[in-house]
Amino acid sequence: MAKVSVLNVAVLENPSPFHSPFRFEISFECSEALSDDLEWKIIYVGSAESEEFDQILDSVLVGPVPAGRHMFVFQADAPNPSLIPETDAVGVTVVLITCTYHGQEFIRVGYYVNNEYPNPELRENPPPKPDFSQLQRNILASNPRVTRFHINWDNSDRLEAIENQDPNLDFGLPLNCTPIKSLGLPSCISGLLPENSMDCI
Amino acid sequence: MSPVLQEDDEKDENIPKMLCQMDNHLACVNCVRWSNSGMYLASGGDDKLIMVWKRATYIGPSTVFGSSGKLANVEQWRCVSILRSHSGDVMDVAWSPHDAWLASCSVDNTVVIWNAVKFPEILATLRGHSGLVKGLTWDPVGKYIASQADDRSLKVWRTLDWQLETSITKPFDECGGTTHVLRLSWSPDGHYLVSAHAMNNSGPTAQIIEREGWKTNMDFVGHRKAVTVVKFNPKIFKKKQKNGSSTKPSCPYCCCAVGSKDRSLSVWLTCLKRPLVVIHELFDKSIMDISWTLNGLGILVCSMDGSVAFLDFSQDELGDPLSEEEKSRIHQSTYGKSLAIMTEAQLSTAVIENPEMLKYQRRQQQQQLDQKNATARETSSASSVTGVVNGESLEDIRKNLLKKQVETRTADGRRRITPLCIAQLDTGDFSTAFFNSIPLSSSLAGTMLSSPSSQQLLPLDSSTPSFGASKPCTEPVAATGARPTGESVSKDSMNATSTPAAMSPSVLTTPSKIEPMKAFDSRFTERSKATPGAPSLTSVIPTAVERLKDQNLVKELRPRDLLESSSDSDEKVHLVKPSSLSKRKLELEVETVEKKKKGRPRKDSRLLPMSLSVQSPAALTAEKEAMCLSAPALALKLPIPGPQRAFTLQVSSDPCMYIEVENEVTAVGGIRLSRLKCNREGKEWETVLTSRVLTAAGSCDVVCVACEKRMLSVFSSCGRRLLPPILLPSPISTLHCTGSYVMALTAAATLSVWDVHRQVVVVKEESLHSILSGSDMTVSQILLTQHGIPVMNLSDGKAYCFNPSLSTWNLVSDKQDSLAQCADFRNSLPSQDAMLCSGPLAIIQGRTSNSGRQAARLFSVPHVVQQETTLAYLENQVAAALTLQSSHEYRHWLLLYARYLVNEGFEYRLREICKDLLGPVHSSTGSQWESTVVGLRKRELLKELLPVIGQNLRFQRLFTECQEQLDILRDK
Repeated sequence: MAKVSVLNVAVLENPSPFHSPFRFEISFECSEALSDDLEWKIIYVGSAESEEFDQILDSVLVGPVPAGRHMFVFQADAPNPSLIPETDAVGVTVVLITCTYHGQEFIRVGYYVNNEYPNPELRENPPPKPDFSQLQRNILASNPRVTRFHINWDNSDRLEAIENQDPNLDFGLPLNCTPIKSLGLPSCISGLLPENSMDCI
Repeated sequence: MSPVLQEDDEKDENIPKMLCQMDNHLACVNCVRWSNSGMYLASGGDDKLIMVWKRATYIGPSTVFGSSGKLANVEQWRCVSILRSHSGDVMDVAWSPHDAWLASCSVDNTVVIWNAVKFPEILATLRGHSGLVKGLTWDPVGKYIASQADDRSLKVWRTLDWQLETSITKPFDECGGTTHVLRLSWSPDGHYLVSAHAMNNSGPTAQIIEREGWKTNMDFVGHRKAVTVVKFNPKIFKKKQKNGSSTKPSCPYCCCAVGSKDRSLSVWLTCLKRPLVVIHELFDKSIMDISWTLNGLGILVCSMDGSVAFLDFSQDELGDPLSEEEKSRIHQSTYGKSLAIMTEAQLSTAVIENPEMLKYQRRQQQQQLDQKNATARETSSASSVTGVVNGESLEDIRKNLLKKQVETRTADGRRRITPLCIAQLDTGDFSTAFFNSIPLSSSLAGTMLSSPSSQQLLPLDSSTPSFGASKPCTEPVAATGARPTGESVSKDSMNATSTPAAMSPSVLTTPSKIEPMKAFDSRFTERSKATPGAPSLTSVIPTAVERLKDQNLVKELRPRDLLESSSDSDEKVHLVKPSSLSKRKLELEVETVEKKKKGRPRKDSRLLPMSLSVQSPAALTAEKEAMCLSAPALALKLPIPGPQRAFTLQVSSDPCMYIEVENEVTAVGGIRLSRLKCNREGKEWETVLTSRVLTAAGSCDVVCVACEKRMLSVFSSCGRRLLPPILLPSPISTLHCTGSYVMALTAAATLSVWDVHRQVVVVKEESLHSILSGSDMTVSQILLTQHGIPVMNLSDGKAYCFNPSLSTWNLVSDKQDSLAQCADFRNSLPSQDAMLCSGPLAIIQGRTSNSGRQAARLFSVPHVVQQETTLAYLENQVAAALTLQSSHEYRHWLLLYARYLVNEGFEYRLREICKDLLGPVHSSTGSQWESTVVGLRKRELLKELLPVIGQNLRFQRLFTECQEQLDILRDK
């Protein structure tokens, strides 16, 4: 059973200019005190075509997390426009909020994002090179796509035991807490839009 | 139920239809059962889990985030226990009468009996079935439990010893395992047990088994396919008295519903030969489960096809239900006093002998009532639109959340947000929730002990120059070639020294990435070659020294930031720079370091003062090396801080106090003097010393410095010299101050503690030999309590304190202590604030408080074993707190211990405690009794204990005795 369930994600300051930071107010509930921090990430999908344009806007640790309901505001800078393909700058894309515990992703909240020119003239005749300063970002806050994954929450004891050991013996870390760098990035798009938004693995 | 019963209510949109959706099970749920009290709900499913649910009252309605529909959970049901034991799908669960036990059966062929009072304790696992167990039922008087399985048998087990009473196979000989479930049922009067799927003359039946001799003479016949569910009405009925008919009361009878694979339902009365009613083709698929309403007049039937049917009966049809008293009278007359009847009777019949006792009992009840009211009040407030936390509305909090939320940086420079707790769970797990939400602040730890958080800067400082300086000498290629920038060197060395956990990741940046461990080893040894003996600071060219200094500065800041969440802004600036730099340059490395660091919660590092230089790997090898050099002589040698040009040391943050040392600053006629500066909340004093200062320490009362030539000088808080220099027996290794106590640990591993104000010795040149017996053992942390008790934390996780009155080293903490891991005294915690006990013992031991629970969950420790371990653990804690002379903690643990004794009913030990606390009532001159313990008045402690003792009626004699004697003493 998941120890942490996300109760709500409120999108703050929406819509907003393209260069203004993302702000999400995340409230979640924890059924049992967590021994370690949660790691939250905001990933901006630069292009639907390829994952290589994904940008991790920010990642932040959240803790300590005792049992109960909690909330925090996760703020991240706007994506770097130079990393976004010009053809994808205007139009619909996606921003993802993921949370991992012990390197395992257990929830992924995806929002559609529409970048467009509020100025009707620009909208009619968009400049050949996207003018990011004129773009407005509109997150479709009413329709989050939530995917939950089942992960192993219960290795805190083993971790603790390891921590108490001589640090020289560090190579004995259990498999499930070895760092996995590429976690979460592959299958971004396909994992984002499951038929059933509540689906479980 | 009203929307089900009345069409108008169904159409009324304001009446909620679905109260709560729990989607925590990982697979199909096979069975849900309410406890008899209605407080709990147990569910079992294909995920091998049983979950026990309780309604949470604190939290108002909510929706499942991300679910498309507007499905609001009107009621909040929270999973309070997850029971893990089965290795296969859980098919049925059943609460025993009076909710003492919960039974579950599974396709792993077993039945598990859980202690419903102490989840997740397992009382018994019933093995004996050789097929999938698909149904369970308890005898209504609690003497038996029956299970039916695919192995064509129905087994009845005794609850007395959880052994098999009988196994019935005959009616099932012809049965095939064709049904999904086999839910059998016991009649409410206890006389009959009715099985699911049985066969009689190749026709499917529900077999009636008589309690007397387990005879199988009767059955319910008529279904065309296998019977899946049998469920007795919880009520016993008697015939309705009709006007004119005979007034002679008829025999009470029971009512039973039978569901089958043939999609039909039959309802039987035991007084009739034919079914009361048969409903054919109620569903499209097999019937799965049946449940009667509490009043016995309604029945809910669910089917594999996903629908639920409700059937309503009138009293005319079923008869007059007997009241619960009449029912239990039938039980008592038939079975005598059974366990189920006893449990409730026990309490009410016990006579309260003492009016004071009565008062406490009443008060307790009142408190419970108050609590209930309080929760009720909170529920009402929570259900209103805006919740209120600490008098602030949720809206207010939300507005300011971004500004107010606490954001810190971890050691590796990552942002870490402390989430704002907006509500606690009311699952009974208060203790953990509360404990975690109030981390011990570093300043608190600092004032109580000799502020180890700040003093650790000093040893780090002194150990690094040698370490850092030696590297360019021994590894010039690596330093210049592979890592051209100084930053990466510093980053690298930083990882290795300040955070031992990050050592292996740092290896990734070494030139030989293929064999990181080996490369690491080689660097380890190369480094240590230079470290023993005098630091090689002088051999390095001045520019290198300068550069290294800068790096040290950066390095210094990191651990400090780790310890103080609210660090100064200028420190932060320093901090961000290297981290962002390294992030760009060594992304891979940072990534791995991050991951590793994540595993180390910050609260630990805040609670446990950072380790001293001895733990840093360089020093560790240095010591090893030293020991090797001095070889078999067994002379313990602790590392010595090397001389430095200057260093600063923060003594405490509140009041802000720091010491600055500058060695050999002023030369007066060829003589070089060292300057000691002390700044306390802006007030500064300084003095000069003739020799170089090696290390310094301070408290609010004294400041002391150890100089070369084994000199130790002590100054008052205003800079006045208190003593002529003390000559130490061997060079200083570590120096500590707490209050007016000064502790010096010398390189020859001897320890001394002096009380400077009273000018007495507390500990005189005590050797650490006895505790440092192991070959690899080192001192990882040193504490000095406010009462001048030195505590040594060793690298093997043990901590010893020196007891000056006994002249012994006493073990006060052991990380590998299995007792602490098994002990579970959660129930004895009086309230949330009990967890808030802070003091030297808490600092030494760190957080172990909820491990017992985890252990219980993991290994399912038998209750007796857990009781013993808990007792032993609590006694250890009391004794340790006493030895440390930590009165606050002593009181805390003593009360906890007493409460545990009271809860578990250990009279002898409780009596002994009371006796000691009370002392002799009629004072005689020969009495050895001390009226105080660690500064607490024993009789006051006893007064605190009395209400605790009064909670258990079994101890009312003890309560009365103590109460009376205390009264006598008061009157004197």
